[in-house]
Parts: sequence; structure tokens; C-alpha cells
Amino acid sequence: MEETAAATTEEVPESSEAPPAPESPGTPRAPGELEAVPGHEAPAAHDEHAHPSPLKYVLIAMILAIVTGIEVGLYYIEMPDTLLVAMLLGLAFIKFGMVAAYFMHLKFDGRLLRRLFVTGILLALAVYTVALLTMDVLLG
Amino acid sequence: MTHALAAPPAHGAAPGDHDYAVTGINSKKLGMWAFLASECLFFGALISTYLLYRTRGPVGQRPGDVYDIPYTSVSSFVLLMSSLTMVLALAAIQRGDHRRLRIWLLATALLGTVFIGGQVYEFTVFVHEGLNISSSVSATSFFVLTGFHGVHVTVGILWLLSLIGMSLRGLIPQERNLEIEIAGLYWHFVDIVWIIIFTVVYLVPN
Repeated sequence: MEETAAATTEEVPESSEAPPAPESPGTPRAPGELEAVPGHEAPAAHDEHAHPSPLKYVLIAMILAIVTGIEVGLYYIEMPDTLLVAMLLGLAFIKFGMVAAYFMHLKFDGRLLRRLFVTGILLALAVYTVALLTMDVLLG
Repeated sequence: MTHALAAPPAHGAAPGDHDYAVTGINSKKLGMWAFLASECLFFGALISTYLLYRTRGPVGQRPGDVYDIPYTSVSSFVLLMSSLTMVLALAAIQRGDHRRLRIWLLATALLGTVFIGGQVYEFTVFVHEGLNISSSVSATSFFVLTGFHGVHVTVGILWLLSLIGMSLRGLIPQERNLEIEIAGLYWHFVDIVWIIIFTVVYLVPN
């Protein structure tokens, strides 16, 4: 309900090649109206924000590459298994979150999509954690 | 609520498109996210099965005995970078830059192909070292898990190539960039599944 409450109307660009016409600073806008962002569906219907720039995508990819390097480095370092597993899972969670949030735009798209995906993840985690605990896998 | 129903789709669909649900979200995009949520359970089952059997079952050669971590790390890096090229393709079409769209889509497909080639080579090496799908229960669960992931990547590559073909024929104008975004969602999901597989299957000690 909250995602549809602030619905407004927007115009679709007519040409596929022409960039959207810049809006003059003085153009009046209705209360709650959002700016049109190419590539988004009815942003007025939910809480969307502008996507990152290509440069930011490259920076995120560099961070992901560094985290992957750290993961592989940890594999070769002698340490207690429990600590190693905790660190590896933590780094994997960071990578998972960054790809989902920035590359899949979950951070910028509507809450409904975020909730839908998180529900799938939590359901899978709950079901299989219980199953593996029942079979004495996770706690040895 | 009635206001939302009256709101026309702004982008990602041609005028007159009826793909928008009462949520204001394109039905194709919503459907893809629902599919990806269900895929979490699918891959969760395969990963759990691997965890269950990797140290259990009758004695036999296990995948952990023949892993080549540096090699798989490079494969993981390649797939990770394909997510970057995929999101750059989306950014290109959102700017209306069709030439760069095709370049980045092709780069993504090529990186995916390198990953799949690497997986085929890895499987071949494993078989030569005596580890095949029937070597042990853990080997079976390993090949099924990574094999299904490989199938997903292959489907993604074919999807990307079809998008390149459509773009060359002028069938993906800027306002239909949702076609690219949905393919990108699938591709990124395949990437994050590999992030989990690489950590849980390859790096976490038995």
C-alpha cells in the first residue's frame, strides 16, 4: 500500500536514441512527483533512486575483486577452522550483498522486490539450516 | 490506490504496454525476482546436499582431494567481472548508447564462456584424476551442484547472444531497456550463487 500511495504520472521518451530532454530548474512539479529515470518502471509507484554511475560500478567491482583476493589468501593462512569459516562466510556475505544491492539495484529499486528476494533467501536459509542441524552436519 | 492504478508506466516499456501490475512494478521484472527467490531454494537444496555428503557416505575419492584453488579463483574472478560488464551494458542502453550495449553484452557473454570453458576443463582434469560423478556420494553432489550452475551460466550466455542479435536488428530501443535489466538480474544471480559455491564448496575446509 505504501508503495502505491505516492503514485504520479511521467512521460515516456518518444525516441529510442534521443536522450530525455533536460528539465529546466524552474519547471513546476507536483508534490511528491519524482524525476523520470530511464530504465525504471513507474518510479512513482515505489521508492526508487537513481542508479550509480559507470565509474561507481567499476569501483564496486574492484572492491569485489579485492575481497575475493582476501578470501583466497585466508585459505592459505593457518588458523582455527571455526575462525576461517566465520571469516570466509562473512566475506562471501559482503560480496553477495554488494552484487545484489548495486549490480542488481536492490538498493535503489522498490521495497517490494527487496522483500521478495530476501524472503526467498531467508526461507532457504531457515529450511536448510534446520535440515542440516537435524542431520548433525553444521555442529559436527 | 486508484491513483496508482491510473499511473502509466514511465520507462522500460513501450507506450501502450500492459505489463504493469497494481504494484506499479513491471510484471516481467516482478516475475524474474519471484523466479530468483525460488532459485534460492533450488540452489540451497543442492548446496545442502553437498554439505551433507561431502564427508559422509562410502569411502571413495572426494572432490576436496583434487581441488585446484588458484585455478578456480581465477574462474571466480572472471565470473565476477562479467557482472561488471553486464551492469555496464545496462547503463549503456539507459543512456541510449546501442554500440556500447552490444560491446558490453558481448564481453559478458565471452567472460561467461571463459568460465564455462574453465569448468569443463576442471571437470576433465577431475575425471583424469579418477574423480567422476559415480566415484562417491560427495562427488555426485559436487558434480550435480556445479553442473546445474554451469547450465544456468550457459542459458545466460545464450540469452545474452540473443539480446545482441535483437539489438543489431534494432529491436531493443532505449525505452525497452527493461529487457536488458531482466537478463542482467538473471546473470547477477548466477554470479552470487557462484560466490556462495566458491566459498562453501571450495574454500571452507571439510
